[in-house]
Amino acid sequence: MPIRIVESVEERGQKDARRHREKQREAIKKHLPEIISEQSIITGNRGKKIKIVIRSLDIPHFRRKTKDDQDAIGIGQGKGAPGDVIGSRKIPGQGKGPQAGKEAGSEYIETEVDLEELIDLMFEDAGLPKLDPKSVREIMVRLGFKISGRSKAGPWPLIAPGPTAKEGYKRFWNFLAALEKETKLDQLICFSALKQANGLIKDALDLLKDPNFKPQFDKVVPFPIIYHEDLRFLKIKDKERPESRAVVIAMMDVSGSMDEEKKYFARLMLFWLVEFLRRIYLRVEIRFIVHHAEASLVDEHTFFHTQESGGTVSSTAYQLARELVEQEYPTSSWNAYLFHFSDGEDFNPQDAVAEIIKCFQRGINMFGYGQINPEGQELFSSKNTLMQAFARAFPVENVERGGLRMIVGRGNVPFLGVQITKKKHLLPALEQFLIKERWSNG
Amino acid sequence: MDKPLTQAELDRLIALEKRIGEIAKEEGLNTVPIDFKIVSANQVIEGMAYRFPVNFSHWSFGRDYDRTRTIYEHEYAGIPYEQVWNFDRPEAFLVETNPFILQVLVVAHVYGHVDFFLSNRYSQIGRMFSDVALQARNAVGRFRSYEQVYGIDVERMMDAALSLEWNQHPEILLDDLDEESQRESLIKSLRFKLRKADGKLSPKEVEEIEKQIQVVSVKTPPEPTYDLLGYIAHHSPKPLKPWAQDVLMVIRDQARALLPNMRTKILNEGWATYWHVRIMRRLFQEGLITAKEHGSFNDFNARVTRESKASLNPYRLGLSLFEDVEDRWNKGRFGPEYENCKDPRKRLNWDTKVNLGRQKIFEVRSCFTDRMAIEALFSDDFIHQENLYIYEEKRFDKEVIYIIVEDDPEIIRQLLKHSHVFYGTPVISVEDGNYDDNGYLYLKHHNTGYELDAAYRDRTLEMIYYLWGRRIYLETTLNDRALLISYDANRNKVIDYAYKK
Repeated sequence: MPIRIVESVEERGQKDARRHREKQREAIKKHLPEIISEQSIITGNRGKKIKIVIRSLDIPHFRRKTKDDQDAIGIGQGKGAPGDVIGSRKIPGQGKGPQAGKEAGSEYIETEVDLEELIDLMFEDAGLPKLDPKSVREIMVRLGFKISGRSKAGPWPLIAPGPTAKEGYKRFWNFLAALEKETKLDQLICFSALKQANGLIKDALDLLKDPNFKPQFDKVVPFPIIYHEDLRFLKIKDKERPESRAVVIAMMDVSGSMDEEKKYFARLMLFWLVEFLRRIYLRVEIRFIVHHAEASLVDEHTFFHTQESGGTVSSTAYQLARELVEQEYPTSSWNAYLFHFSDGEDFNPQDAVAEIIKCFQRGINMFGYGQINPEGQELFSSKNTLMQAFARAFPVENVERGGLRMIVGRGNVPFLGVQITKKKHLLPALEQFLIKERWSNG
Repeated sequence: MDKPLTQAELDRLIALEKRIGEIAKEEGLNTVPIDFKIVSANQVIEGMAYRFPVNFSHWSFGRDYDRTRTIYEHEYAGIPYEQVWNFDRPEAFLVETNPFILQVLVVAHVYGHVDFFLSNRYSQIGRMFSDVALQARNAVGRFRSYEQVYGIDVERMMDAALSLEWNQHPEILLDDLDEESQRESLIKSLRFKLRKADGKLSPKEVEEIEKQIQVVSVKTPPEPTYDLLGYIAHHSPKPLKPWAQDVLMVIRDQARALLPNMRTKILNEGWATYWHVRIMRRLFQEGLITAKEHGSFNDFNARVTRESKASLNPYRLGLSLFEDVEDRWNKGRFGPEYENCKDPRKRLNWDTKVNLGRQKIFEVRSCFTDRMAIEALFSDDFIHQENLYIYEEKRFDKEVIYIIVEDDPEIIRQLLKHSHVFYGTPVISVEDGNYDDNGYLYLKHHNTGYELDAAYRDRTLEMIYYLWGRRIYLETTLNDRALLISYDANRNKVIDYAYKK
């Protein structure tokens, strides 16, 4: 037969198209620091889409140079004389908006990416775990968060499925009994209505008002009906707190040469930290402080985009942070996490030490000092006056995790000093920062 | 419209296909039995992206698949996608969800293509590779098993091979001798030259030829070759493992089979369009399709042959060309007498009633490539009549404006011709596979009026280096200055310096 219908064979196109998109993601990953640098990811709107310009993936091949590599020409067909405009198109990525690094010899396409997807990519890129409920709970166990007791409110990752379901079944039986009593019908038909109404008792009643309504089930199979007040959450065993809330105070030395890459590390660490805390506390706030010889409170965008020249006096930032804790985030009702990013030099390390001790006395959960040096200096090189001062002033031990060298406060000293030179240092640093035993057993 | 064919429709289509085959024969077209397969739109899109009905996996095919599918789904649903392969027994796809009349149109169109495949001198070359589809099918499993063992290296090897696939000998068949047979025949011809000269050559000339013989006996390649992938597969000092050679050669062979089609794109599509119009008209005259169906065909046909503002639509241009040539040769509007006639009124009414039109268009379909057609048949009148122009993409701050800059037929003809020389691919030859006695690869770019795009050039050299593993040299020009570029991965960049021959 010359014409026949052919059954669909293997769908290779889908699979290879996925590989292409995967390669595009790799290309985006390479330029994450630039792409993300314009976004306020910590405090901004997470649902938005971002326009980025990425390289169209092509196979390099010998090809002709177009005229001056600028005004390309072509042949077309239609009405018109020299000088007539036959069309136009917008140049993708011109003007505002991030460009994912122009590489020579590439064509570019503009594409829209969900901020969420970029964030996933960032985490993947830096080897930071995704923060789905399962991994959040794993991390909490690993880091020694003690979970005990129940409460009727809490963050989603901490929902307790068993107790919640138990409440749901209780409600099911209550509703069924109420329906029977109200309608005087038998249990099976009431069950059918409740099931069909997806547990909504008012809808079930409406169904039962219909004389033609017939039971579709031959036996009662209970299912949990969960209302908001049936939810049960696990509670983190913490200092007794009326509310479960936390504040992160981020500090950044803007005097030095914190370039795009260093800032990217800081941004990733802070972002992941805040996201993690958001999963375990009902309320999380973040405040930003920049400093050189003076400190000031700023918003997220300013935090990552300020550059000033001048001396570096970190104690000014620490003092401002402490005042914030005292006035707005008393540690009797807030968990306070302080983190300072710098490239290491300080004019007056002794004042910095003194201020940190004051913060300890206020009962903060943790003080982190992150020295960001992608060039990979020695931990205690002569430039790094702060790290040296901290190591001398506080009882610390040297710890190494995954190639990352840290100084970690002994006993109940809530201090962590890390030098971050590589992306893969971010996770061990964050974990060390969050280890619970250290600062809650004291 | 989106429903698959009913049994009754299928029966009718089978009957119409039979009649279309008969009409084709009556009109003097060559035919062979054709396998028509009714498939999903997805499969046709896959066929277009993968180049063959079944082919190995690669992300670039996936990218093309994604692109076409997006266009199909969002913009032009129901467009008459058609896919036909120049196999021993030609194979064509019909999209199951296309309206019935579109199926008939595609069948008629495919008969045009098949005649072209069978009759055009250059497409006939493509038919010599007709086992390439089977090879492609077999490569699927082999490549997959390589991937299981060698992982991502296989993809990198494919990337590199695909980057050179179109760099083939301009006359494909000339370059398929193995190196030793090539060497022998070269030496033979040089010795023959010596013998035939019979003492008439000066001692210096004799010495020259003997020196040449010596060079040829050891040099690789004995004479420059344009078959980059073929040469690299067999001579890379890396050396390439058998699986890698296999990947390179499969990709090379596929490109060789596809190249002839690229040289006859305008003519082939024009010819198929010319015939589907006529066959559909006859089906209507014979009462085999209704007036309504013929009207609906006309709508589709108008879409297919629409002018394209910023590119050339081969269906449109090819159809107009055959109709123009037929008309001119019917009226005797060719030859010096007509060409030299400057009187516009005389030219307008010129008709010697020689009626050579049919004969001429069959000759064009048999013997011409697109480039030859542009040179010989794109007359000034034709270029005017078709409203061809050259446009420029002017870049402004935030947008690109397309502006017509030229409508002089001579300039248009030149530009068209240039873009059809050697399939539009720059000509690169391997001059020496053991340059500097160090196993370096020495390539030469033959300037055909255009220089190389520098950025693409460098990225391609990187690919060649991946295949060759030692330094690569490329002789070329930049801004009319001779240049020798060397690519050395130790420095991982392209170094160029003025080249003195």
